[in-house]
Amino acid sequence: MPDFSLTEEDRSLQDLARKFAKGDMAPHAAECDRAGRFPEEIYRKAFELGLMNLNVPTEYGGSGLTLLQQCVIVEELAHACAGMTTSIIANCLALEPILLGGSEEQKRAILTPFCGSYHLASFCLTEPAGGSDAGAIATRARPDGDSYVLSGEKCFITNGPHASLYTVFASVDPALKHRGIAAFVVPRGTPGVVPGREEEKMGHRASSTSTVRFEEARIPKGNRLGAEGDGFSIAMRTLDQTRTPIGALATGIAQAAIDHAAAYSLKRQTFGKPIAEHQAIQFKLADMAMKVAASRLLTWQSAWTIDRGERGTLESSMAKCFASDSAMRVADEAIQIFGGYGYMKDYPVEKLLRDAKLAQIYEGANEIQRIVIAKQLLKAYE
Amino acid sequence: MEIVVLVKAVPEGEARLRPDVTGTEVDPEGVRFVLAGYDESAVEEALLLKEANPGSSVHAISLGPAARAEEVLRATLALGADRATAVEAPEGISHDPLLVARALALAVGRGPCDLLLLGKQSSDSQSGVLPALLGALLGRPDLAPVVGLRFDAAAGRFEARISGEAGETTVAAPAPIVVGLQQAANDPRTAKLPMILRSRKAPIGRIPKAEVEAALAAAGGRRAVAPTAFRLPPPRTGARLIDYTTPEEAAEKLVRILGEEAKVLP
Repeated sequence: MPDFSLTEEDRSLQDLARKFAKGDMAPHAAECDRAGRFPEEIYRKAFELGLMNLNVPTEYGGSGLTLLQQCVIVEELAHACAGMTTSIIANCLALEPILLGGSEEQKRAILTPFCGSYHLASFCLTEPAGGSDAGAIATRARPDGDSYVLSGEKCFITNGPHASLYTVFASVDPALKHRGIAAFVVPRGTPGVVPGREEEKMGHRASSTSTVRFEEARIPKGNRLGAEGDGFSIAMRTLDQTRTPIGALATGIAQAAIDHAAAYSLKRQTFGKPIAEHQAIQFKLADMAMKVAASRLLTWQSAWTIDRGERGTLESSMAKCFASDSAMRVADEAIQIFGGYGYMKDYPVEKLLRDAKLAQIYEGANEIQRIVIAKQLLKAYE
Repeated sequence: MEIVVLVKAVPEGEARLRPDVTGTEVDPEGVRFVLAGYDESAVEEALLLKEANPGSSVHAISLGPAARAEEVLRATLALGADRATAVEAPEGISHDPLLVARALALAVGRGPCDLLLLGKQSSDSQSGVLPALLGALLGRPDLAPVVGLRFDAAAGRFEARISGEAGETTVAAPAPIVVGLQQAANDPRTAKLPMILRSRKAPIGRIPKAEVEAALAAAGGRRAVAPTAFRLPPPRTGARLIDYTTPEEAAEKLVRILGEEAKVLP
């Protein structure tokens, strides 16, 4: 029988995340959103509490959580601010290639000092001319003696200007397409590593996004993860691990939308009674609640599948795609319930819609997720 | 210094409480129990004293239904307590402060204790008499409500700041003492994730119900206080919204209401 209950350990982690989200993140969410401020003091505190390098095993200084536990935490954080959450969990994405492709020696040498104090890392896969088409990477890694020389540009890089470490995917031989891609660990101090200016974004404005350019950046061969042609596989397996928490992030946004909308509907009066007593509003709330519950279940099921050691490509694609599409709909309905006030920036719900939008796009656009889901589905009928 | 801190599991602040089927108690169904606010301050003070006095240790004790006591003890271990003991409460003693104090004194008396720290009152029943009862039962001075505590190791005595209506008094007392801490006497820390994970695996000592009952019987303690009814506070009324279109109109109406109806303005 499936067991949908969280253990006391999971619940105590949820309590920690909820406390941090409510006490430290939520009070600054609106201000950071308005100003596009990157609240480094909040990220430092997240690190100090152990909420940052969630997927890194404790032997390398991380928190060593199961994927289900990561999802429970991410949902709570995103309930307060999805933008801050994206910056907090960006390390999980950037460090996963090292966990998957790094040698024991590399893990000790890179992860242990990195996780020992507050550091940010960025995952550099997407390029101006291609995101989902990761096989078409144009950034080059030219072998030269004991090193590689990196040249090219990555874009939409979370925490780009603030990171001290980048995991970069570059082609050693473009003729080999995705078989020519290699993964590298690039320290920020490497000459020729040039983060660009902060992008102005629609949502996730407490997070930081920029380009990162590599101008003949020379890195030692020892910084390559796995073999030369392993890069594409490392990137895909990384996303298989990190896609599920995006489902949790979207669930957190949607849950926040319900919480705001339900509370408002009990207070706001029209035609002599709270709007919560109008069936039109009740139906909206019921639909929102079903979407959130289904998002959470798909997310947890995906995490559970991956925690059992399976790859979970199908499950994580379903969780990410469904939860982010749902978050858009639920945030949209929350605005509708708030009416004109919902469209005003003085109220918290319009931010949820702007934040939810990104979850449909990043870590594999939902169109890609649907292709993955359909392919897996059709395999069973071939 | 051996510090013992008493912690109580109380309903979470946001919990929606209702009477149970007997109508005499809070229905625990669906209610989360957490470390009481005053006790959080007591734990923080214990940890600050431990950090200021190397070689000290903090032993947390909780009386209550076993599962609930264990959860708040794990939360206390996650904050930095060194060991924990759950005292399983016999049915129905929780409303009788003397029996609660006797059960806790039994647990405290089993180990070393230079300082017994607790919240000056619990945030649910709020009797506020436990520091005094424990002081009397253990034969130690009791100080409450304390807002600051320092240990002078050379002199072997504590300096406590006690806040009262008339001001703040500083008193000195030799160890061992009992201290009831005021909430907000400090800024309680948040447990870190690795400590939370470690606390889940930590052993928790137990004093079974039978032992507590035997000790209470030996002390001649019959259950004297029993709850007969539990009611939620009545919903608040009397709030009134002023209808207005301009701020000037709002102010004008408010001044009139305050003057003519509430009669708080001349």
